[in-house]
Amino acid sequence: MKWDFVSVFANTDALLAGLLGTLRLFAICLVLGLSLGLVVGLGRYARTRWLYWPASAFVEFFRNTPVLVQILWFYFALPILLPFEIGPLMAAALGISLNSAAFSAEIYRGGIQSIDRGQWDGARALGMGFIQAMRRIILPQAIKRMMPALTNRAIEIFKMSTLASAVAYVELLQQGKLIASLNYNPIEAYTTVAVIFFLLLWPLVQFTYVLERRLKRDE
Amino acid sequence: MAYQWDFAPVVANAPLLAQGLVNTLKVTGVALACGLELGLAFALMRLSPKRWLSWPAGFIIEVFRTTPPLVQLFWFFFALPLIVGIEMTPFMAAAVTFSIQSSAFFAEVFRGGIVSIERGQWDGALAIGMSRLQALHRIILPQAVKRMIPAFLERSIELMKTTTLVATIAYADLLFAANEISQKTFRPLETFTVVALIYFVVITAFSLVARAFERRLAVSGESTVH
Repeated sequence: MKWDFVSVFANTDALLAGLLGTLRLFAICLVLGLSLGLVVGLGRYARTRWLYWPASAFVEFFRNTPVLVQILWFYFALPILLPFEIGPLMAAALGISLNSAAFSAEIYRGGIQSIDRGQWDGARALGMGFIQAMRRIILPQAIKRMMPALTNRAIEIFKMSTLASAVAYVELLQQGKLIASLNYNPIEAYTTVAVIFFLLLWPLVQFTYVLERRLKRDE
Repeated sequence: MAYQWDFAPVVANAPLLAQGLVNTLKVTGVALACGLELGLAFALMRLSPKRWLSWPAGFIIEVFRTTPPLVQLFWFFFALPLIVGIEMTPFMAAAVTFSIQSSAFFAEVFRGGIVSIERGQWDGALAIGMSRLQALHRIILPQAVKRMIPAFLERSIELMKTTTLVATIAYADLLFAANEISQKTFRPLETFTVVALIYFVVITAFSLVARAFERRLAVSGESTVH
C-alpha cells in the first residue's frame, strides 16, 4: 500500500484547531481538578465527620466509575435536571475535572499525612492556626513529595482529554476522525494523531522520571 | 418543574444491561490474561543485555504508556485492518489494544519486581546449576510476583474502567448498552444513572477484594523475601 501523508498535512488547520481544543480542555481540567482535589483531600484529612464523609463519598464514587461514563452522564443525563443545556466542552470538563479531583485528593492526603507530626506541633507552638500551618509549613514540604504523582495525574488528564471526542468536542482525536472520514486515509490520519500525542507527552513522561529519581535520591 | 423519575423502562431492558456487563467482563478478562503474559515477555526483553531485544520492547512500552488509549483503539480498529488486510471486529480491536496497552504497564511492574530481587538470589540459583530461565522461573519470579500483586490489582481495575472506550467503536459493552437503551426509551437520566451505579458496584467490589487480598499479603509479610 501507499502511504499518503499529504492529505493529512493539507488539513493542518483542522489539526491545529484540534490541538487548541485539546490544550484548552487540558488546562481547564488541570486547574479545576488539582485545586478541587486539594479541597477534597483536606476534607478527607479532616476529623470532623461532616467534612470527612462527603469528601470520602466523592472520592470513592469518582474513583470507582469510568471517566467516560461520567462524561456521558454529564452530557446526556444531567441536562434533564437542569434548566440549561450542557455543551460538549462543559460535559467533558466536568467529567475529567471531578475524576481528577478524586484521584489527586488521595495524592494530597497521602502527601500531607507523610509529613512528620512534629512539624504540626512546631507550627502550633509558634502560634499558627490550622490554615497557616498547612499553607506555610506542611504543604510546601508535602508538595515536593507529591510532585511525581501530580505530574503523572497531569499526563493522565492529557490522555483523558481524548474522551471528549465521544461527545463530539473538537480536539485532536476528533479532528483525526474528521480528516480520516473526509479523505479516506485512516492509517495516516490516526498515525499522525498518535505521533502528535506521543511527541507532546513524551517530554512530560521523562520529566516525571527525573522527578521520581530526584525524590528517591533526596529522601 | 419537578422531573418525574421512571426507572421501569430501564429495568425492562435488564437483559441488555446484563449482556453488556458480560461483554465488559469478557474484554477485561481477555486483555488481562494476554496483557500479563505479554507484559512478562516485554519485561524480560527490556531487561535483556541484547539491544535488539531491549530496544523494541522499550519502544513498545513507551509508546503504549505515553499515547492515549482511545487513540490506540482507533488506530487498531480503523487503521491496522487496512495495513494488514484483515477485517477487525470491534471485539478483536478492543482485545488487541487493551492487551498490548495493559502489557506495557504490566511490563514495568514486572521489571520493577524482578529488579527489586537481590542479586544474591540469582547468584545462588546459578551456583546450584540452574539456567537463567530456571532461576527466573523458580527463584526470582515467585518472590517478585508477591511484591507486585498490589500493583497488578490496581492496574486490573484501571483496565476494567478503560474498557468502556470500546463503546465508541460499537462493541456492545455495558456503556454501549446504556446508549442504546437511552435512545430507545428516551430516559437518558435513569439509564446513565443506573449504568454508573452498576459500574460503581462492580468496581468497588473488585477493589474491596483487592484491598482484602493486599491486607492478607501484608500479614504474611515481606518476611519470605528478605
